[in-house]
Amino acid sequence: MSAETAIATRALTKRYRDVLAVDALDLDVRRGEIYGFLGRNGAGKTTTIRMLLGLIRPTGGDVEVLGRRVRPGTTASFARVGYLVEAATAYPNLTVRENLDVQRRLTRAPRAAVGEVIELMRLGGLADRRARVLSLGNKQRLSLARALLHRPELLILDEPANALDPAGIVEVRELLRSRASEQGVTVFVSSHILTEMAHLVDRIGIMHEGRLLEELDRDQLRAKERLYVEIGVSKPAQAATLLAAAGFAHVEHADGRLRVYGAQERVPEIARVLVGAGLDVSELTETHEDLERHFLRLTGGGD
Amino acid sequence: MFAQVLVAEFVKLRRSRVTWFSLAALSLGPLAIALMMWIVREPGRAAKLGLLGTKANLSGLTATWPAYFSMLTLVVGMGGMLLLAFIVAYIFGREYTEGTAKNLLALPVGRHWFALAKLVVAAVWWAVLVVAVLAEGFVLGAALALPGFTTTAAVGAVRDALLAAAIAYLLVPVVAWIAMLGRGYLPPLGFAFAMLALGDVFSHTGWAAWFPWSIVPQFIGAIGKPATTIAAGSLVVVALTFLAGIAATIAQLRWADNAQ
Repeated sequence: MSAETAIATRALTKRYRDVLAVDALDLDVRRGEIYGFLGRNGAGKTTTIRMLLGLIRPTGGDVEVLGRRVRPGTTASFARVGYLVEAATAYPNLTVRENLDVQRRLTRAPRAAVGEVIELMRLGGLADRRARVLSLGNKQRLSLARALLHRPELLILDEPANALDPAGIVEVRELLRSRASEQGVTVFVSSHILTEMAHLVDRIGIMHEGRLLEELDRDQLRAKERLYVEIGVSKPAQAATLLAAAGFAHVEHADGRLRVYGAQERVPEIARVLVGAGLDVSELTETHEDLERHFLRLTGGGD
Repeated sequence: MFAQVLVAEFVKLRRSRVTWFSLAALSLGPLAIALMMWIVREPGRAAKLGLLGTKANLSGLTATWPAYFSMLTLVVGMGGMLLLAFIVAYIFGREYTEGTAKNLLALPVGRHWFALAKLVVAAVWWAVLVVAVLAEGFVLGAALALPGFTTTAAVGAVRDALLAAAIAYLLVPVVAWIAMLGRGYLPPLGFAFAMLALGDVFSHTGWAAWFPWSIVPQFIGAIGKPATTIAAGSLVVVALTFLAGIAATIAQLRWADNAQ
């Protein structure tokens, strides 16, 4: 693992009896980037995060976080890691401030850090309220405050936008962005909210059934939002060859269909090439692919 | 670092009703004994209260300090074994019931410190309860003006109660381990009840000196006559149970999957 890598996994695997939750995952998250970990429910995101934090033992493979190997029970690099896993939780009989004070003691953060993070997460009016009376959204803010309290170099956040209202989601997005851009904090964030990820991340990894199906950087994400022409045709492989020969540079063949990027002005020409070669064309549609559509197609959840 | 973890563990008890509940529950013991002593001493007035007087007379109690001390030790020993299991179930089990265990596991603090800090909190909590209940017992006994008080008997009673309380405490790391294994309150409480029942069974088979949960009941006279001393072998069994409980608790925290 290089010094530029914040998180690295090699052949990371977790099996629960008959269920392969994470299957030989190789992951590299660079320092300072915001990495979106995307997947449907049950894709293996939370299991992966638990292994990154040493909460559960991998069945196989290795994890390194901030240059140190993670093994259950070791403190590894956790002084420099802030995290939020699954549902937001807090000690219900303690106030917001007291909950954060517990965290401060355990992370050796300075006393002033509690007040700073309360202000940062806009919890000032609730600081002396017990956690049991907080709304779900405010509990989530408290959990995020707990993760941020000791100014970690790496944030590992599992569905941080859960229970937040739209304004809260934007606020957290801006906060994570500023931490990454101004302080060089690495953010590893899981979500199933696709649009949220598209607005936040530098790179995205798509998990499905325990495997990392695809990684896309920001440019590739944008590219996925391009217009393309989708073609249903009788012999897709032959059609792809014909279109390439006719000067269509970006032709993709997937699931028995063709996608021709950057060709929305040339639909009649596409039709002429294919029909002229004697192929049956069942569909010729101009389509705008966004991340959501791409994700659903990859994970088999689309049409 | 342990000091910070320990302080954090005490902070977690703020505004906890369970601390007051445990004090109220244990302090009912001396109150009940004092009431029985009063009934035995005042059978005429007690009879007006109904069956209570009859029951108390049938039990063969005498309203004296030695009898009172004997029952007080029983309350601390037997009541304590259950209440202490409840306290430890709460301290360890709440992290799972309240979903906060995961927040403790990826920190720059060795996980064993959490187990040890929680056991220290339980020890302090238990010590405060025992001292408070013994003090309450002396005040109530004095208020009843029971006959037969001697300093020797009082010192002996306090020594026996503290020894029973200490042995009861040494058995709780196993309960803590069950709380983490079962991830909540109920499994450790079920375990504690089961061990007390088994302790009773073993007491009738001649193995009382070797089964950890029989040793306190036998010593304080909950089963048969009170033993005057605890056999060295029994102390070794208790010490081994204590060490095994701590080792299992730390191992559970350190190596087991801690998904919630």
